[in-house]
Amino acid sequence: MRRKSIILLTVLVLSAFVFNPNVGNAGDFAIGTTLEDFSMPDTAGKTHSFNDLKGKNGSVIVFLSAQCPVVKGYNARINQIAADYESKGIKFIGINSNSTESLEWVKSDAAEVGYKFPLLIDKGNVLADKLGATVTPEAYYFDAKNVLKYHGAIDNDRSGKGITDNYLRTAFDAALNGKAIQKTRANAFGCSIKRLSEK
Amino acid sequence: MLNVVGKTILGGWLFATVFAIGIVAQKPIGTPNEGEVRKTAEASFRPQVKQIDAVTLGKLLQPHGKPLLINFWATWCDPCREEFPDLVKLNKEYSGKIDFITISLDELAEIDKDVPKFLFAMKADMPAYLLKTTEENDAISSVSKDWKGGLPFTILYNEKRDSVYTRQGKVKLDELRGKLNLLLGTVPAIQEVKH
Repeated sequence: MRRKSIILLTVLVLSAFVFNPNVGNAGDFAIGTTLEDFSMPDTAGKTHSFNDLKGKNGSVIVFLSAQCPVVKGYNARINQIAADYESKGIKFIGINSNSTESLEWVKSDAAEVGYKFPLLIDKGNVLADKLGATVTPEAYYFDAKNVLKYHGAIDNDRSGKGITDNYLRTAFDAALNGKAIQKTRANAFGCSIKRLSEK
Repeated sequence: MLNVVGKTILGGWLFATVFAIGIVAQKPIGTPNEGEVRKTAEASFRPQVKQIDAVTLGKLLQPHGKPLLINFWATWCDPCREEFPDLVKLNKEYSGKIDFITISLDELAEIDKDVPKFLFAMKADMPAYLLKTTEENDAISSVSKDWKGGLPFTILYNEKRDSVYTRQGKVKLDELRGKLNLLLGTVPAIQEVKH
């Protein structure tokens, strides 16, 4: 009987891998999950910890790219949002996880854009894997206790000309006013993060 | 009664008309010159890109008795452009056996510019669409619950619209061929394991 149960369990576990075509992308970090502290170098090689960079009312981890045209279209908006909410205690942390973008390239692009927040290098896409990040730009908003409150797109129009839903700002405003965030997940078209395994 | 001047004008006009008809009649009908032939051939291959919204996308996601392969791409996406020759090759290999469509996420202004220009350069003759919607989140979710919008994205549905293959990033041609062959029953399953 016990042997049969073990065989059945093994078949079920194997089936989950065989029949799930998306098993490689399944590492999603659910809303409500707490992110443990981590450390990562910036473009100058200086190491920062997440807890040192976060604001008193939370933080935003935003996955960026030096190459992605969608990120280029969002850079000014991201900088503006970061500036608008820094004084309200929410700080931004940029992450570059693209294995195809060299440090020099990322560094020169960051200087050109003039990011108003630290940009960290996620060598080996460790953080991207932990959070299940696959797109740039892709934002994760954590509260002061590092609990994930919102995950996804910044707004609903990458051109910036016809924005009708400012997902990230709306999430911040709700949280800062002690209200529940209505939309905790939103996707938008962007560039794929190029992982080390795909290089 | 026409006077002399009138007769001269009328005569001149008649002569000019007959002369013009003669020239036109001498030009062989149906044998355009080389430049015209080339232009006609290019025009006949010029890919037509149809604009769709989220509702039409929903309809396009329905297979019609064959496996349905869909590639989401954009001209601004480097890996999308890089993998396109492989997709064109795949389309030729499985012509008639599957339905294969491409959906561009370019800006609407590119629907008669860069998008058809690129498809023409690639000799891509699969049905081509451009999705324009303000509800990208809903559109993305309608394609696959596991997709977050990163391009390129390729999905293969079986005849019942079950997703049997998804890939964000460039497709791995052998892997996709294996899935297609398995679906079509053209290659024994054991052969696919070798890939």
